Amino acid sequence: MAFVIAGPTRLHGTNVGPQLQTLLIHQIRSIERHHMKKHLSRRRFLNLVGAAGGSTAVYKTSMALGLMQDTGPVAQLDLQKAGRNGKKVAVLGAGIAGLTVAYELERAGYDVTVIEASKRLGGRNLTVRHGDIIDELGQPQVCNFDDDPDLYFNCGPARIPGHHRRVLHYCKELKVPLQVKANMSRPAYTHEEGKFDDKPVRVGRYTADARGFMSELLHKAVDKNAFDQPLSAEDRERMLQFATAYGDLDPNGIYKGTIRAGYKSGGFITPAEHYTPMDFSALLDSKFWERGMTLSENPDWGEPLMEVTGGMDGLIKGLVRNISSPITTNAQVQSISLKENGVDVVYNHKGEREKLSVDYCFNSIPSHFMSGIPNNLPAEYRKGLASLQPGNFFKIGLQMKERFWENEGIYGGITNTSQKINQIWYPSHGIHGKKGVVLGAYAFFRQSAFFERMSPAARIEFAGKCGDKIHKGYSGYIEAGISVPWGRMNHMMGCGADWSPEIREKYYKLLQQPAGGRHFMIGDQISYHSSWQEGAFGSAEYALLELDKRVRAASARSGKG
Amino acid sequence: MQNQIRCWLLAIILLCVSGAPVFAENELPIPTDDLAYCSTCHGVQLMGNPILKAPRLSGMESWYIENQLQSFKKGWRGTHEGDVVGMEMRPMAAALSDEQINQAAEYVSATRSALPASSVVGDIDKGKVLFTTCGACHGQSAEGDPAFGSPMLTTVDDWYLVTQLKNFKSGIRGSHPGDIYGMQMRASTQLLTDEQAIMDVVSYISTLRK
Repeated sequence: MAFVIAGPTRLHGTNVGPQLQTLLIHQIRSIERHHMKKHLSRRRFLNLVGAAGGSTAVYKTSMALGLMQDTGPVAQLDLQKAGRNGKKVAVLGAGIAGLTVAYELERAGYDVTVIEASKRLGGRNLTVRHGDIIDELGQPQVCNFDDDPDLYFNCGPARIPGHHRRVLHYCKELKVPLQVKANMSRPAYTHEEGKFDDKPVRVGRYTADARGFMSELLHKAVDKNAFDQPLSAEDRERMLQFATAYGDLDPNGIYKGTIRAGYKSGGFITPAEHYTPMDFSALLDSKFWERGMTLSENPDWGEPLMEVTGGMDGLIKGLVRNISSPITTNAQVQSISLKENGVDVVYNHKGEREKLSVDYCFNSIPSHFMSGIPNNLPAEYRKGLASLQPGNFFKIGLQMKERFWENEGIYGGITNTSQKINQIWYPSHGIHGKKGVVLGAYAFFRQSAFFERMSPAARIEFAGKCGDKIHKGYSGYIEAGISVPWGRMNHMMGCGADWSPEIREKYYKLLQQPAGGRHFMIGDQISYHSSWQEGAFGSAEYALLELDKRVRAASARSGKG
Repeated sequence: MQNQIRCWLLAIILLCVSGAPVFAENELPIPTDDLAYCSTCHGVQLMGNPILKAPRLSGMESWYIENQLQSFKKGWRGTHEGDVVGMEMRPMAAALSDEQINQAAEYVSATRSALPASSVVGDIDKGKVLFTTCGACHGQSAEGDPAFGSPMLTTVDDWYLVTQLKNFKSGIRGSHPGDIYGMQMRASTQLLTDEQAIMDVVSYISTLRK
């Protein structure tokens, strides 16, 4: 089937933007000049569209031509098939981004080879269970949790919010089961050394009082009409109502405590006893309002969150299950040479030096390692990579012999503390089971160094002592524990890339583009969501669309499309 | 003929500029899994990685590497509060047996990589004068002398020389009584009166590279 391009009006039914439309018209006219009204196949036409606008434009144009059903805004890639002589692709690194590229390109008919430096797949998507090795430089650990499917710890990504559409798309497509994960929890605690007599305070109580006090102040300000702009009588009335509802004030606009702070006692077969408000100046003197109180108002931590049932590495297993291309572990890249028509990758494997000559290379090696790998990538590109500092995170997972937190009414969620452990996370799964694994410490960026200097045993002991200040007998419940300093993990030495705004401005777009049209940098490091799986998936998607644009352009040029 | 020479020169220059490997591949040792840990930070063929502050080790003398790994293991190096990078190195050496240290040292001295470009700018003439004293132990061509425990200096990153001279001078390195050579070196750095002197002497050492 073929049709004759009658003129640019063909495009008017599509959803492509005006700029793209102009570009398309320009391209099609130039083809028309060349081929003098020669018949143009639909496939060729779509390649022209793809050359100008990439897959998204093809997708939209296909819909307009009635070739595809509009299935909604799913990030479904529609990569041009590689054909019989599938182009060769090397994927460096078997984390989320690398495996996604392998999965998609394999489906599009490419000849894919994945090489991974470490012994395992998944990158920082790491779930540890009984017997797993934690490959920390100089002090490797073996996970000593009981051999029980509920006793696992997500050392890297652990939470999936509903707006991370790419993660969820792949979970759905790969049939990776998800469950809801509690993040913010009102019965959990905020604990600050030297505040509230050193005692933990329930998050719900703290938050209710903080809002009550602020609402009372707002109520008083409205009463006194203390605003720059005078309010109308109606607005004043509405604001008084807002303040009363927001803080649960009494009819006179005074905060006298609220059921939102939780029951002090009773409330079921005996009368409820409520908490009296805490001291306002003590609350102001604390710091929970600074970050912890509003944490779940950030969309990335916004309730409800999800997690992969049985451990986050279920997502890696889902990808690997669906990839038949070779994946080689223990393969360390030795050099990357960009050539005019491809890329050579040399790597060591089992005492041999191997070489891959490919058409395209997708590289998820942490940017901070690229300065230690001989390569001939363009100077500015290398400078960009060298300008990124490694990010860092640190986590401790503790196996508790009893789920003591459930006796305190806590089922999942997070306790925040001013101590160096920062947080304690309670598991959302395995409720009322005998044991459970809690997160016993979570240090961010430079805070991680404090724990990195300790031995694994000292870290667990330290976390136990901090926990004792929050839960009575906490350290006595610890049966087993592991710690994961990402800045000290073999083949990682960091966690994501640290982009300053200046570096972002200078190099981000450059690093997003393939060097020589052949070498694509991928991974969460090449995204606005470093250290999030969505960033890794996004970078893979971006790179694949860039590749597709080039492939379609080449097909259109060669006239073979 | 002249054209041919020009072509060759161009090829050599391109090879150097492009950063492509300049050694025959069969010359390059392939580390065992245990030794591959070194290259995580120190880079392929231990070429160094300034982002991770891991110096180039390619081709260093095995006796010196062995000394230093033992220093780290014994806590002569990598225990001072001010030595953040040394503290990162220490657990690696602490985990090694004497035999593994031996193997690591042999591997390090067999590695090959291109010399990185100089990055330190100083007064080379002043540096040359200062180096006369250094040369007493390290040799006037900075070729090193195992008799004094003095390593060759021409294979090392210049930025790393600056860091270590500062560390010696401030006592971050060379303060442990067990570290006899380190203490000697610490005393010698008092000759370098300020940071400029350090830059000067290092920029002179860069001229001795072959």
